[in-house]
Amino acid sequence: MHTQQQVEEVIAKAFGITPNDITDELEYQSIPEWDSVSHLVLVTELETAYGISIEMEDVLTMGSVAKVKELLKKYNVEQVA
Amino acid sequence: MSLYDLIQKNSNLFFIDAQTGHAVSIKSFHQSLPIDDRQGLVFIYNDNLIGSVEVLLNFMNSRFTIVLLSAQLHPSFKQNLEALYTPYYIYDPGRTAIFGYNTIATSLSIQLMKRKTLPEYYIHSNIKMLLSTSGTTGSPKFVKLSDDNLVQNAWSILDYMPIQSDDVVPLNVPVVFVYGLSIFTTNCMAAGTIVCTNNDMLQPAFWSDFTKYNCSTIGGVPYVYEMLHRIGFFRKNHPSLRYMTQTGGILNQALRNEIVKYISTYNKQFFAQYGQTEAAGRMAYLPQEDLLTKAASIGQPIKNGRFEIDEQTSELIYYGPNVFGGYANTPDDLSSWHETNKLYTGDVARQDEDGYYYITGRIKRIIKLFGTRLNLDEVELILKNALGGQTVVCTGINDKYLLVSHVNDQLEEATIKKVLQEKLQINPVSVQVKYIPTMPLTPNGKIDYSTLMMHA
Repeated sequence: MHTQQQVEEVIAKAFGITPNDITDELEYQSIPEWDSVSHLVLVTELETAYGISIEMEDVLTMGSVAKVKELLKKYNVEQVA
Repeated sequence: MSLYDLIQKNSNLFFIDAQTGHAVSIKSFHQSLPIDDRQGLVFIYNDNLIGSVEVLLNFMNSRFTIVLLSAQLHPSFKQNLEALYTPYYIYDPGRTAIFGYNTIATSLSIQLMKRKTLPEYYIHSNIKMLLSTSGTTGSPKFVKLSDDNLVQNAWSILDYMPIQSDDVVPLNVPVVFVYGLSIFTTNCMAAGTIVCTNNDMLQPAFWSDFTKYNCSTIGGVPYVYEMLHRIGFFRKNHPSLRYMTQTGGILNQALRNEIVKYISTYNKQFFAQYGQTEAAGRMAYLPQEDLLTKAASIGQPIKNGRFEIDEQTSELIYYGPNVFGGYANTPDDLSSWHETNKLYTGDVARQDEDGYYYITGRIKRIIKLFGTRLNLDEVELILKNALGGQTVVCTGINDKYLLVSHVNDQLEEATIKKVLQEKLQINPVSVQVKYIPTMPLTPNGKIDYSTLMMHA
């Protein structure tokens, strides 16, 4: 079982920002720290943290923090509040 | 014939606004915006959307000198450049008003800012366009290009690029970069449809447009191809895709093999090119059939161009009608045009027995480790190939250390040191390995070496 907080920490690490700045509404390309480069870092970080392999189509759907969390559910990464 | 006339001659050309799906004929952009008939500078903060394209085409067909800048340029950089160069017109879709300028609604969707006081300096009539050499730092240093430079560059590219009159071309490379500008000019002259978009390849909208409009081509720097590889682009056919273009550095071997496999499986074409802003675009290209045999080569000079290698320094020198007319650092520099066909590229090169050219480094990207000359670009390529195409970047620290920066936190320091020792006999004690979460890039996708060095 993983907490939402852990997910946010992984995301924050990928973007090099603090977990406090992570909200569900945060979108791809809405901050300089979340660009094409860090997006792929995020993919790698999530794969490492949860032992999953994210498909191409899914890499493209990760357009916001909320969508990232939704995607993790699809990969059977359970998250509790 | 001017670049603008050559584009208008391609009268079946359409532009698609990816945001609305509307298609507009090139004919409807002819003198579509009322602009003054005089000399002066226009700053176009381009975002690759259809409004920027319309403004660009209107000013191409005028006596104005176009300064192409990125819409994403930091506001303080914009202000500094505007204060220095006092442009007569400014197009910036991100701002509704600018101090010292009147806002003019030139069409329903396009606003131009017009300067209240007339700038007082002379611009040489050859200077049609000013392009930034970095595009990122807000540096006031621009490359002066003539209309003829741009036309000659476009003709040389059309000589080898398989552009067809029914091609659909996404503007996925920003037009503010000379490579994006070349894609824009050549396809405006010869293709059928240009898709104006600012979506990037990691956004689903880019790919839905790609399929919806049956895009024929895609372009990018090596990093873009690394990204395409990462998202699995080369695992399946993209039926409308006919050819891909690349510039901005040599692809690593692993990625090149992947691309060769892809183009031979699905019968596509791939053009690796070599160019510089100072050459208004391209200087060389590698024909598809040489992609494997002459792997790391930049190929042969484009039509009407030729190379020479300086005997003393091994610097690559290019000669061609597309060579620029000097730099501008201040408005005063706009009064002159330095006519030449010779360009010192700043790249170190060699030529093989078959006449193919290879870039072996940049003049400044060389360090001496224990007295041994070490070309950082070569080291980088060797490491990337040994590590299966991972992103690694080599820089020097005061000729004492070789710094290897990478973005994979699973990558062991010892692995890197071992490769360097085995392949290049570099002592591990002179190697520093640093993991960084993200690779600093310039907006055109190249590795930002200066930022890397600053944090070394």
